Amino acid sequence: MSAAERGALEPVQRNDLLGWLTTTDHKRIGILYLTTSLGYFLVAGALAIVIRTQLARPDNTVVGAHAFAQLFTLHGTAMIFLFVAPFALGLANFLIPLQIGAPDMAFPRLNATSYWLFLFGGLVIFAGAASSEGAAATGWTAYAPLSVLKEGTGLGQDLWIVGVFLVSVATILTSINFVTTVFIYRAPGMTMWRIPVFTWEMVATSLLIFMAFPALAADLLLLFVDRNLGGHAFDPNAGGSALLWQHLFWFFGHPEVYVMILPYFGVISEIIPVFSRKPIFGYSGLVLSAFAIAGLSMGVWAHHMFTTGAVNNPFFSFVSFLIAVPTGVKFFNWIATMWRGSISFATPMLFSIGFLLNFLLGGVTGVMVASPPIDFQAQDSYFVVAHMHYVLGGGSLFAIFAALFFWWPKMFGVKLGEGLGKLCFWLLFVGFNVTFFPMHFMGLDGMPRRVFTYANLGQLPLLNLIATAGSYVMLAGVIAFAANVIVSTRKREPVGPDPWGANSLEWWTSSPPPEHNFHSLPPIRSERPVFDAKHPDVAARTPR
Amino acid sequence: MTGLRLFISSAVFAVAIATAYWSIAHEIVGTFLLAFMAFALTFVAGYMIVAEREADLAGDLTDARVADAAGELVGTYSTRSPLPLWTALAITCVGLGLVVSPAVAALGVIAVLVLGAFFIVQSR
Repeated sequence: MSAAERGALEPVQRNDLLGWLTTTDHKRIGILYLTTSLGYFLVAGALAIVIRTQLARPDNTVVGAHAFAQLFTLHGTAMIFLFVAPFALGLANFLIPLQIGAPDMAFPRLNATSYWLFLFGGLVIFAGAASSEGAAATGWTAYAPLSVLKEGTGLGQDLWIVGVFLVSVATILTSINFVTTVFIYRAPGMTMWRIPVFTWEMVATSLLIFMAFPALAADLLLLFVDRNLGGHAFDPNAGGSALLWQHLFWFFGHPEVYVMILPYFGVISEIIPVFSRKPIFGYSGLVLSAFAIAGLSMGVWAHHMFTTGAVNNPFFSFVSFLIAVPTGVKFFNWIATMWRGSISFATPMLFSIGFLLNFLLGGVTGVMVASPPIDFQAQDSYFVVAHMHYVLGGGSLFAIFAALFFWWPKMFGVKLGEGLGKLCFWLLFVGFNVTFFPMHFMGLDGMPRRVFTYANLGQLPLLNLIATAGSYVMLAGVIAFAANVIVSTRKREPVGPDPWGANSLEWWTSSPPPEHNFHSLPPIRSERPVFDAKHPDVAARTPR
Repeated sequence: MTGLRLFISSAVFAVAIATAYWSIAHEIVGTFLLAFMAFALTFVAGYMIVAEREADLAGDLTDARVADAAGELVGTYSTRSPLPLWTALAITCVGLGLVVSPAVAALGVIAVLVLGAFFIVQSR
């Protein structure tokens, strides 16, 4: 084939709005996912600020009880279904083909369809707020029989069901794409045991999505039938069971926690070696522990149901404790990677260390509430709110910012500023801990979650005021990030292919990468092909 | 082979945990969910055993070079298509229609069928 004929086959990417609306390029879809999920994060964060403002003082009247229920429902739904998990999908969309040396995803059009379903699903969830009875108000868990009742949960609840269903379908389709791409489209020499840890973690995450999300889809369908077509799946008076909702929901819901954390374990595993100037310690241990976590997480769903008295508490408690072992392996590997490394504290590394500290606390309280006697005390209290936020806020959110600072140059060809980056980190780190650490004590003092007001008793007013102040510090951190984006974009100082001195294949190609990712590929003989190509003397001495 | 091993070990794990759960808890909903998960994973593993017989991937060779995967240039990935956006809109219409108006749902179903046909035609 002549060069002219080959040129005629080369696709030409449009840079206008139509180009973005019709794109099937994995990098653009990744960026669309990332910006959309960050948009939902801003909305969910604004809702959180209203929630914390209402709770700043006892008997506050910023919002009423029903509005408050809608606020925490939309906040939880958006953070979980529309931000933390989809952000990882966006990152994986952008990175997986680049990390394995592929030109695109296995199914580019399916990939684009998944993104649009995710966007529209989120809009449908929020559209409920415009209905006469307001948005869904039954929490992100939408427990039956409350969510079955038509009174007080009208159109908004139905739209919530449809929206979450669309998002779950989009997530399943995307995970099929990820696994197929990784299994089939690896570059020559990129064996499975050479793919970067982030890509491995996305394979484990996709496996979890296959196993967990169909249960959610089935649960939502049953709820829709109960509400609109006269079904009785969750109605004990007609032979149904309200607990069935909880079983199906948590069969999805607990693995979902790992869908929201495994990708970020991958992010941290990519960043720490780069800024420690060492190869990752225990590559296979990190990979195997991801699958151990994924497998075990399928057997712990009813630890959310200890207090129902209708599940086998010892079984679920034991399996929940077991998850601490592979998670501990990962912590050991990250610390061993940093040990005696030449550590530099650039912003991505700061956020990674923030992740380690926050997630450790969330993990420790997780082991605590995996014990039924403690869980009976902590159930539905602010202690659980603190635990959950330390895992998903202190953990995932910090890894998200680490990822943004680390891969921003690859996505847009410019680095984010270090000064504003460090300011952003400290505001978020201090703000996060000031907000959520006091919640442990609120919970131990007996403050239940999801209440719009509380009694002026003991330490509760002071602890709530401190938590609210912390949330405003976090808001300042997000503003610092936005300012950083604006300043860096205006400055527009281009970076080369590899501004960090990194290891994996995405750092071989230009920043941003060309349409089909690579003009050339280095020989792939380890999990660090870019490092090997730049330092062949070191690579030759490294045992394989 | 690693991918296949992954699905086989996941299926074995699912069978083990389903059995353990039923033996200890005697609870039907969880056992059914775990058993279904085991069945689904076994199905995928079975499919992969068949598919891998025909697979010959340069990505699986430890000392492969880029040139090893070279062959006849039969085309390139398309980087744009209007179908995904319209298909997602149509599916959303089906969902919304179920809540607000059966007519919207019917319109959505027709659109999904038409767009599905376009997908099939384009894929040939």
